[in-house]
Amino acid sequence: MNKKNKILPWEYSFPSIMLIGLIVVFPIIYTIYISFTNMNLYHWTDYEFIAFDNYRRALTKLDSGFMSALLTTIIWTVLNMVIQILAAYLIALGLNAKGLKLARLYKTLLMFPWAMPAYISILLWRVGIFNPQYGLLNKIRSALGFSSMDYLSENIPAFISCMVLNLWMALPFLIMMMDGALQSVDNSYYESARLDGGGWWAQNLYITIPSIKPILAPSIIMTTFTTFKQFDIIYLLTMQKGSLTGATLQTVITYAHQNAFVSNNYGLSSAVSIVIFGFIILFSLFVNRGIREEHV
Amino acid sequence: MKKMALVLCIAMTAAMVTGCSKNTDSVAAKQGNKEVLNPIRIWHDGDKAMIQLMEDHLNQALSDDGITVKFEQKSGLTDQIKLYGSDEVNGPDLYMYAHDSLGMFVEMGALAPITDVIDKNVYADMLPMTMKAGNYKDAQYLMPVYFETLLFIYNKDLWEGEVPSTTEELYSYMKNHTDATAGTYALVNQHSTAYNVAPLINGFGGFIINEQAKPGLNDKKTMEAIEYNKKFAELEADGDYNTVNALFKDGKAAAIIGGPWLISGVKEAKINYGIKSLCDFKLPNGNALVPYSGVQGVGVMKHAAETKKEAVEKVLKEIADPQLGIDLAENSRCAPANQKSYENPTVSKDEMIAAMRKTADIAQPMPNIPQMSVMWGPTESLLAAVNKSGKELNNVADEYQKQAETAIADMQ
Repeated sequence: MNKKNKILPWEYSFPSIMLIGLIVVFPIIYTIYISFTNMNLYHWTDYEFIAFDNYRRALTKLDSGFMSALLTTIIWTVLNMVIQILAAYLIALGLNAKGLKLARLYKTLLMFPWAMPAYISILLWRVGIFNPQYGLLNKIRSALGFSSMDYLSENIPAFISCMVLNLWMALPFLIMMMDGALQSVDNSYYESARLDGGGWWAQNLYITIPSIKPILAPSIIMTTFTTFKQFDIIYLLTMQKGSLTGATLQTVITYAHQNAFVSNNYGLSSAVSIVIFGFIILFSLFVNRGIREEHV
Repeated sequence: MKKMALVLCIAMTAAMVTGCSKNTDSVAAKQGNKEVLNPIRIWHDGDKAMIQLMEDHLNQALSDDGITVKFEQKSGLTDQIKLYGSDEVNGPDLYMYAHDSLGMFVEMGALAPITDVIDKNVYADMLPMTMKAGNYKDAQYLMPVYFETLLFIYNKDLWEGEVPSTTEELYSYMKNHTDATAGTYALVNQHSTAYNVAPLINGFGGFIINEQAKPGLNDKKTMEAIEYNKKFAELEADGDYNTVNALFKDGKAAAIIGGPWLISGVKEAKINYGIKSLCDFKLPNGNALVPYSGVQGVGVMKHAAETKKEAVEKVLKEIADPQLGIDLAENSRCAPANQKSYENPTVSKDEMIAAMRKTADIAQPMPNIPQMSVMWGPTESLLAAVNKSGKELNNVADEYQKQAETAIADMQ
């Protein structure tokens, strides 16, 4: 390739690189810049460089609740992912069962929670399902003669409630991915397995799962990250301003929001964000390495 | 073809970069003529019909002076003012908003005291409470327009007998007329929302945050009030805004503590409602309930006070006109800040406005210091922990006090 041909592709892609730079890279660099300043309400325009002061304060904050928020986030991510993968796999298998009538209708209906705007879904669940006065769960309880219960006022029931809602909202994506992956598996493998006496378990363990794993890996990574940085469900169900429920659940992102972004201290908030950003990068390296090793 | 593609690429990049640039030249300096004084732009996030009424009133009154006022609605007004408050070209000249953000805007350096453009006599007739709301560090920054306070709103068809005049009588009534299993309540309230519990906290002599920016969540009197609120909370359903409103509008609650913003929905639900001022209820300590008040006022941006002083002065004078208060009261049922507006019989006879006017003599304006913005979270977390999670107040008050102190320290 001559010199001109080497440069030309860069020239063509320059606007796109600029755009990505402006939208993705610039905010990160600007956040890093702000994190080294004392930009806050009292120094709105006259902020100064204060070196690592904000990082020292951000790291002090890690002692006061960050570690428990991180632990909650890890438990939240692991539980959600395990249940989601298992449930989505079983449902996708069911949808691909031979002789299933109206399979397309079921698939369309299953997409519904995914298609709904998250904010609407969460508020619907909050009022329609979990509300102590109007919620479906309490209507059922009172029909059975039990007293009403506040599902969102204590941490463990609130965690389970958030998880159920997250599953409802996130499952359709994995079901769709698994459904697509299942359809790509050659039927002749199953016919051979049946001829060799392989049962349902053997077919799943030795044919289906190994065949769909490479196709599903990117979807699972994406869902893992979405679950890890989940904010909407926990915030809107339990800690929305003016509607606090009493639960004190905190994930890394809700912790960052509560401790940094309400203070109008942009220097400190940026430092906290960069520290959390570092944690997420470490998490992503860890997940990617795990996947790469599995492939090798 | 390749050259054409390259030219297009360069043009796109240039357009993208220049599109992000900011025009910082003063409009006045650019055009150098008097026309640039128009229009006077006022940012707000209020009700459209009410703002239209204000705009029409001001433009009619100022037409002889050649001044045009243009109200522009902005969602997330606080953030918009943070971004554009000091921007003469893209930002507003004035803004109209609730007074509790005042300290934040002043500390950011966006506002000028209104005394830089008008004489004190212009606002001499305003209710003292509304003036206090717009005062920060001994300087007057807001010209008050109208105010809101919480009210006791009851369903005349459901409430039995007279509405009590003490909180203890009210509690007895609630105990006798609440059946949570059947889903019927005597009174509902957002019992874990700081704004709704403030009447008790203030009445007991406690405070959420004082003028020296000290949080008072573990103050003895605040704790007494929270403990007292708890026994009411047990009879007031979930306390969530949507739930309590729905219960009242569905006729499952005989009364609700809420603001004037509830009235349109209550009317739509065809509730035969009555209103009582919260200051008509006496606490066991003999004090009345002391709700917070929220005052909507107009503030002046620093640049407008310098470059458009005359026009801004005339606009503020018109905003202080008692007739504007009367128009707002008659059309939008706002409680005017100007005392003279209440001389009008339509205003003084309106049950809701009269109740708010009565409350104004005792109500405390929400604190307008910037630190208040971080107090809602810890205060409501404490209330929810006590009222919803059943935590012992003595065990958690210090924890949330510490949380509030940390949040305040984090602002610096």
